[in-house]
Amino acid sequence: MFDFLVQRAAISVVTLFVISMVVFTGVRMIPGDPARVLAGTDADAAGIDAIREKYGLNDPIPIQYLRWVGLALRGDLGHSIRTRESMIHTVATKLPITIELAFLALVIAVGIAIPAGVLAAVRRNTLWDMLASGASLGGVSIPNFWLGIMLILFFSVQLGWLPASGFVPIWESPLDNLRRMVMPAFVLGTALAAVLMRQTRNSMIEVMSADYIRTAYSKGLASRAVVFRHAIRNSLIPVVTILGLQMGALLSGAVVTEQIFVVPGFGRLIVESVFTRDYPLVQGVVLITASSYVLINLLVDVSYSLLNPRIRIGGAARES
Amino acid sequence: MSPSTTAPSALLARAPSTEPSRVARAWRQARHRPASVVGAVIVLLFVVAAIGAPWIAGADPMQTDWKLVRKAPTLAHPFGTDDLGRDTFARVVWGTRISMQAGVFSILLAIAVGVPLGLVAGFYRGVLDQTIMRLTDAWLAFPFLILAIGLVTIMGPSLTNATVAIGLGATPTYIRLTRGLVLATAAEDYVQGARALGAGDLRLMSRHVLPNIVSSLLVQATISIPIAIIAEAVLSFLGLGVQPPAPSWGTMLNTAQQFLETAPWMAWWPGLAIFSLALSFNLAGDGLRDLLDPRDY
Repeated sequence: MFDFLVQRAAISVVTLFVISMVVFTGVRMIPGDPARVLAGTDADAAGIDAIREKYGLNDPIPIQYLRWVGLALRGDLGHSIRTRESMIHTVATKLPITIELAFLALVIAVGIAIPAGVLAAVRRNTLWDMLASGASLGGVSIPNFWLGIMLILFFSVQLGWLPASGFVPIWESPLDNLRRMVMPAFVLGTALAAVLMRQTRNSMIEVMSADYIRTAYSKGLASRAVVFRHAIRNSLIPVVTILGLQMGALLSGAVVTEQIFVVPGFGRLIVESVFTRDYPLVQGVVLITASSYVLINLLVDVSYSLLNPRIRIGGAARES
Repeated sequence: MSPSTTAPSALLARAPSTEPSRVARAWRQARHRPASVVGAVIVLLFVVAAIGAPWIAGADPMQTDWKLVRKAPTLAHPFGTDDLGRDTFARVVWGTRISMQAGVFSILLAIAVGVPLGLVAGFYRGVLDQTIMRLTDAWLAFPFLILAIGLVTIMGPSLTNATVAIGLGATPTYIRLTRGLVLATAAEDYVQGARALGAGDLRLMSRHVLPNIVSSLLVQATISIPIAIIAEAVLSFLGLGVQPPAPSWGTMLNTAQQFLETAPWMAWWPGLAIFSLALSFNLAGDGLRDLLDPRDY
């Protein structure tokens, strides 16, 4: 067990190292001179040189990389060019909004997907199964930004029930916050629900054909007890793994959803930083995104191996 | 099929004489899955629309007309007109080209890069495998869209760059998938047999391993293409893909969002087009998977 943890952690460290190199190189490949951007439009050559010296842009690239990593490890990811705010501060104000959105989306997705997936598997090849599979296929195929636009069209423009955009902090007015979050969360949740439902159905079907389920039936248990006490619990293990892998998709979805519903979260920050050519911000945001993905999956892997000792090494559960 | 009959029929399937029965079997299966057939037909219709856009569109997708700004659908303009008086139907038809191009070419790129890497990693194992897989891990850590946005930032927004970005975003999936399939296939007796007969690495990979994993890759492609089509629409919607005035479904939706109250039809059709194209690909792909992959889901 200890060996497994060490191995997983080592792989994550290597991955993080590669990520930091990629992000660092990537940002340096963006056309344009960062010193010129930092200096502003009306700086002369001497001014640009001074900035280059101040930020160490004349040093060899490996030195620049090491310095950047050193600062990043101490939690200093630099400042936004545009707002002059520190990365940490910017992220700390934006991230909770996206976490709330993602959490609500997750609740909606799990609330739809698990019951529907279990029902489809238990009543396999019936109308229920076909309806659930059809809905899942539709959920994968519908572009979430279009779904968002259609929801705005229906609930905001036609019916006038919900505000189309904007954000109210939850501590100011929980009700207004929810009224503005429900559509984005639904949009973000549908795609995830579609994927989760399929996975729940497949793994439930697999579990239901296992010997111990047959034993449970043959010892006279009611089918309700078999499904709820024996099957669901075991079939959810792979679903948890998929959930971890879907965190990236959730963030990608948040980028689009926040853009449509004008939610000032982390996803919108990414798009804004790209459009305003705020490179330190792009660099920091992408690094944080990728690192958290690695850490979440490390946690998923570890919790998974704790839940199911048969799968320790080999990452057999990882499905791409 | 009972287990006792599978072995001989699997052997027979290699013989060319059984080719017609294979087609017959495919047809028989297709009749049991009408939804997949409908999906495949709609995909074909979109292909026809993409190729025949100049003849089908009926109007110039770029032609602005100030007298026809944001007119609701009529017989002359079945999908209505947009904020510059352009015919929405013509723009949706021309947009098919862009979507198909981005969807298919990006996945071809992902296959061209991902399959060789996965093949080499799975076949040779060892240090090479470790290196490739650690790179893939890091690659996968960037969420698909974030990676695409980052790449487009570096390369600049255009259809070609969006296609490349989407393709590179989809590549790690193919590396992982190919490697896994190769690991399983290379251990099979027939590969070991061919090796014992003196076949070289290249021959083993190209003649014995690759043909046996093609169907799984094909199935994955039918899953990835609709994702890529939606991704292109998203990038264009965000302003990072196809640039106006080119008629991309994503850019059309971006514009439509500003006129939801006065011209909602501008938002209906491009989105409906993306949805139906992605849905048909997925339906057709489901059928293909049943056809190629006899495992029961």
